[in-house]
Amino acid sequence: MAYHISEAELVGLLGHLALAGGSVLGSVPTSSLPWLDWLGPENSPDSFAQALRMPRSAQSPKGAVLAASESMGRYGRSVATATATPTDSLTIVGVRACELKAIRYLDKVLLDGDFHDPAYEAKRRAMTIVSCDCLDCTDSCFCTLVGGRPFADEGFDINLTGLSDGWVVEVLSDKGHRLFATKPPRATPEQLEQRDQVRRAMTQRIEAQNVRWSLRVEDSTPTRLPEAGGEGWQKFAADCVECGACNTVCPTCYCFYLYDQHAGSEEFERVRTWDSCLLSTYHRMAGGSHVKITPRPQLLARLANRVLHKFTYSPQQHGMLSCVGCGRCIDACLGRIDIRQMVRELSP
Amino acid sequence: MISKDPVSGRELYTPRMATVKRIERLGEKEKVFEIGFDGGGALGQKPGQFVELSVFGVGEAPISISSSPSRSNGSFELAVREVGNVTAALHHMEPGAKVGIRGPFGNGFPVGDMVGQDLLFVAGGIGLFPLRSLINEVLDNRDGFGRVIILCGSKRPAERMFTAELEQWRQRDDVEFLETVDKGGESWDGNVGVITTLMPKVSIEPARTYCIVVGPPVMYKFVILEAKKKGLPNDRIVVSLERRMKCGVGKCGHCQINGVYVCQDGPVFRYSDTLHLQEAL
Repeated sequence: MAYHISEAELVGLLGHLALAGGSVLGSVPTSSLPWLDWLGPENSPDSFAQALRMPRSAQSPKGAVLAASESMGRYGRSVATATATPTDSLTIVGVRACELKAIRYLDKVLLDGDFHDPAYEAKRRAMTIVSCDCLDCTDSCFCTLVGGRPFADEGFDINLTGLSDGWVVEVLSDKGHRLFATKPPRATPEQLEQRDQVRRAMTQRIEAQNVRWSLRVEDSTPTRLPEAGGEGWQKFAADCVECGACNTVCPTCYCFYLYDQHAGSEEFERVRTWDSCLLSTYHRMAGGSHVKITPRPQLLARLANRVLHKFTYSPQQHGMLSCVGCGRCIDACLGRIDIRQMVRELSP
Repeated sequence: MISKDPVSGRELYTPRMATVKRIERLGEKEKVFEIGFDGGGALGQKPGQFVELSVFGVGEAPISISSSPSRSNGSFELAVREVGNVTAALHHMEPGAKVGIRGPFGNGFPVGDMVGQDLLFVAGGIGLFPLRSLINEVLDNRDGFGRVIILCGSKRPAERMFTAELEQWRQRDDVEFLETVDKGGESWDGNVGVITTLMPKVSIEPARTYCIVVGPPVMYKFVILEAKKKGLPNDRIVVSLERRMKCGVGKCGHCQINGVYVCQDGPVFRYSDTLHLQEAL
């Protein structure tokens, strides 16, 4: 169901979220890309509303569901206690279509199969998603090359589309409906037409800025890239400085490491922290010189593995690409590796 | 078993407390540890599965289970070579010490498919540790299987493990047991040569035989070549892979090869299922 609210009503809605308890995460304007931060004394509903008309934020919202570092529970020499995380409600404002796709992918990885990741599941249950259509983009945005579009039609509680005058609000869930004390007026056919125009224009802009990569891959038709030892990867690996920034900023890179830290006398805390598949230590096993301690001793193979995972292995494993075209890895790369160029050049 | 409880998440990433009950030295750097859960309860493993072993304050490592379910007694055995931080700390432990256990994880050997079939075991070095769980399971249910052929290879006579059990296997009428060492010595009057030199000494019927191979990475290629020379099809050659299995539950990414998680889809694979996995062997 689609409604229409004014700019002032949107700011009022965001203010209401702040008062309703729980945390509210969204973007605020900066001199460059919007920055993901908490709604509060430092960041007003006004600034959140402004950033909704700007490109996607510098960081992905991955950390809201899979924290960079978090406790998986404590144990000691006598008892083990997993953390029964009392998860506060969390509303994320301004989630883009590419980021919704990333969350859908993380759901598959962490919640499908025989085991459900408990911390992730608790956070997902406690989360309300206020997504928004892109009204602006970065030079690195390329969602349309990987089967995406700069607006969403699933995976949110409510979705916002900025018009020249106010916002169209699409409500998909009960959680979404509960955000409104009184129902706003239904969007008129003219307003819905204006929304379609906004969406078409943004799609065309992203297609136009990516036309030189002439790449089109979809979840159902992933591209065929050479194997990790194959030709072509070396050119890109030569520019990689193995910093792992692409892993960190990527909204779908989920790899994590588990370690223990002391938490008092004979008490230990099991901590989960993001890990990076580009680092040489990532796959390393214990063992002497006579055994193969890592299957990917060469950077070239690790870089290839990361890209193959996004474009080949994820479609095999989960039926979807795990590159959503947000372009953050392009922005973050110290070696100026552009994943569009890499996939374009290495595709048949 | 592992709790799937999505709210408490108990035992998915945090270990169950257990106690080292018995320690026996097997070799210069190898010991076997008998471990039981505090508060009882069997591990409930299948042959070929592994656990994540925690040494408190040091770390956690995946270790194959060496004892067979048929000999559980409420405890299980981990045979461990000292190669890194966790295994070194474990080796310094005395009976009564506390450890943490998660698991069992992994698919285990396809025992159901092996019923009624001839089995050719090829154990190189400490590849015997995980294979021992399957061999003893088979021997404890001996009527369920055809011929049992065990080929065992060690670097030197001093590096032979579980020697009392090897001797029992050698003496059984219903087991064909062959052993070799890479380098012999004055006290050794058995076969000398790498494990592949034993392969031509046995004849098999490839259509009813499974060849189960576990050993150091370098060994697989050569043993598989020999197995294929005997006419064994790729899906009757079974291997177990070693990877950095960090979480054990198919989430953390570390043991991934192409679209496969070794900790969940393996560690046991039919050779035919590894052919498209460039990094597997």
